[in-house]
Amino acid sequence: MKGRLTITALVAFLLFFAGYAALFIAPDERTMHEIQRVFYVHLPLWAAMYSALVVAFISNIGWLATRKPMWDWLAVSAVEVGVVCCTGGLITGVLWGRPAWGIWWTWDARLTTAFILWLLYISYLLLRGLLEDPQRRATLSAVFGIFAFLDAPLVYAANRLWRTQHPAPVIFGDANSGLDPTMGKVLVACIAAMLAVMVLVLVDRYRLERLRYEVDELRLAADARAADSNSATARSPR
Amino acid sequence: MTAARAAAILLAKELRLEFRTRELLNATIVFALVVIVLFSFSFDPTAAESRRYGPGLLWIAFLFAGSLMLHPSFAREQSNQTLDALRMAPVSPFAILLGKMLANFVFLSLAEVVLVPVFAVLYNVSIAGVIGRLIVVLMLGTLGVVITGTVFSAVSAHARMRELLLPLLLLPILAPLLIAAVEATASLFAEQPSLDRTWLAFLAGFDIVFLTASWLLCDFLLEE
Amino acid sequence: MKNFQFLFEAWMAVWAVFLVYEFSVARRVARLRDEIDHLKQQLGDG
Repeated sequence: MKGRLTITALVAFLLFFAGYAALFIAPDERTMHEIQRVFYVHLPLWAAMYSALVVAFISNIGWLATRKPMWDWLAVSAVEVGVVCCTGGLITGVLWGRPAWGIWWTWDARLTTAFILWLLYISYLLLRGLLEDPQRRATLSAVFGIFAFLDAPLVYAANRLWRTQHPAPVIFGDANSGLDPTMGKVLVACIAAMLAVMVLVLVDRYRLERLRYEVDELRLAADARAADSNSATARSPR
Repeated sequence: MTAARAAAILLAKELRLEFRTRELLNATIVFALVVIVLFSFSFDPTAAESRRYGPGLLWIAFLFAGSLMLHPSFAREQSNQTLDALRMAPVSPFAILLGKMLANFVFLSLAEVVLVPVFAVLYNVSIAGVIGRLIVVLMLGTLGVVITGTVFSAVSAHARMRELLLPLLLLPILAPLLIAAVEATASLFAEQPSLDRTWLAFLAGFDIVFLTASWLLCDFLLEE
Repeated sequence: MKNFQFLFEAWMAVWAVFLVYEFSVARRVARLRDEIDHLKQQLGDG
């Protein structure tokens, strides 16, 4: 418990520092001024999302290879956290686009990819919700998860190719090109902070999944015990 | 028994089964036709507009019809538990999967053979000059749909709400294929028909990636 | 300074998303811990 408290305190400090840096240390951007600072939340959210999805992919393979329950717990936790980060990324994208460029949404390659990934991994969660047998649920969702992860670069490639044929002003890309060194350092701090938060949430979710497993095991034991005592009383009415 | 021979036998079985009643094929074709006709109400099909929206709606019709048609692929096996029988036979799981993929490919292609000319007539699009290249695009796209669709049919066969789940799983995965197929088809329907080889390569790549993944993961799909 | 409102909203939105998620996880954990205690008691008696 103490270790957990310390780590949480550290992450909180990192967050505070990153937030302060993003708001006050980072230099003002020429055209967009304050709203550009959303970038320091927007990009780290994507970084966190992709990290979570990589963890999910590895967990899917881990389950299929070893059948150890911990991989299944990690897989669903990573996908859920990834979806949360993706939601945040999409929301910040919209809230950045509107004041900065006057549009709520742009079908540029990166944003569209993120949206499709969001749909894809929500489907993963829906699939899990609809499969009842735990073994089957773990295995089949792992297969789907692997397919989804393989699809991700294809989605991005297709969108990029499409955009080269139907060009539109590249919006979010410009913010990256020619990054001022101070901006770069603040960005790194913010990414670190976001990843730390993501890991914390991931660990919590993992623990939840492990608890669920424990509960299921205990329930099975309790049912078995009840069945035994029932048959015992059934045998002895004399 | 080699995997190829087993797949061929299973393919023949699926075809025989379907052609006995043809109900799935008919339903698929009719559904796609309905989608195509309904879409026509959303815009006025002058030549220029048809060229703009036509390819997109053609492929969306195929995707919707395909995801409905793919669902029974494994669900049908469940009612008589014929899948257990298949599993016990000395056939590799990949052969079973391949047999079903090929069968679905035949069904969807047959539907397309009917639908593409109808589409061309309804939307005043000339396909005579590009028919060869169009067939290549259609085949590569259809392959992608049936490869992923058959796998997801197996995945969703054990789930509740499978009829809704299959399109839910399939359509996001097929997003890149949709983009590639629509772009390739659109360039073929344009005033100056052309075919960008990048999109063809992309479609082929998509098919190869997911066929390989299916092959690597087929054991898990069919296990008890 | 007008853009500041959107910046604030974006920041708050991200916090809200994470906090809601954390709360939902924490609530489920608490419920499961209770159920575990209950079940352990059951098994202890029977």
